[in-house]
Amino acid sequence: MYVVHYIHAMDQKINPTTQAYRRYTWEFGASMLGYIVVIILSRMLLHSLTTPPDRWQFAVALLPLIPVIFVFVAIVRLLLATDELQRRVYVNSLAIAGGVTALLAVTYGLIESEQFPPLSAWWTYSVFMISWLIATFFVRRSYR
Amino acid sequence: MKNRLKILRAEHDWSQAELADRVGVARQTIIALEAGKYAPSLPLAFKLSKIFSKPVEEIFIAEPTD
Repeated sequence: MYVVHYIHAMDQKINPTTQAYRRYTWEFGASMLGYIVVIILSRMLLHSLTTPPDRWQFAVALLPLIPVIFVFVAIVRLLLATDELQRRVYVNSLAIAGGVTALLAVTYGLIESEQFPPLSAWWTYSVFMISWLIATFFVRRSYR
Repeated sequence: MKNRLKILRAEHDWSQAELADRVGVARQTIIALEAGKYAPSLPLAFKLSKIFSKPVEEIFIAEPTD
C-alpha cells in the first residue's frame, strides 16, 4: 500500500512536459519498430503472392500505413500535451516545412518534362520531413 | 517584455530544471522566458506568479514597445 502511495506521489511530481516527451519517445519508438516489422512482412507477402487479386495486393501494400498512423497520433499527442512554447516551436516549424514542400512541389511540377522525369510521391514526404527537421532547429534556436 | 525570473529563481536557489518542473514546462521554455525571447501566456504568467508569490506585474515588466 505504501509503495502504491509512493508511486502515486512520484507520478504527481513528474513534470507534465517531461511526461509527454517520455510517452512520445515510447509511442514513436514502438510505432517505428512496428513499421519495420510490418513493412518486411508486407514485402515478403507481396513477393510470395504470384498472381494475387488486385484488392489483396493493395491491402498488403497499405499494411505499413497502420504503424505510420500511430506515428502521426504520437506526434499529435505530443503537440497537445507539451508546453505552450514547445507547441509553438513545433507548429511554426510544421507551417514552414509545409510551405517549403508546397513551393518545391509547385516548382518541380512546373518544370516536369522529358528532362525532368516525374518523381515518386515519396519525395514529397522526404522533403517535408527534412524541412520540418531543419525548420525545428532554426525556430528553436530563435528562442534561445 | 522584460522579466525578473532569473533574479527570483536565484533568490529561491532553484535551477532552471527545478523551476521548469515546478511550472510543468520544458527547461528550454524557462531559458526562453529568462532571455526575454518569449512572452508567456496569461495562464503561465499567473502560474509563475503563484510559484514566486508575487504579483504578475512584479515579475513581468512591459516595455514601451509592448
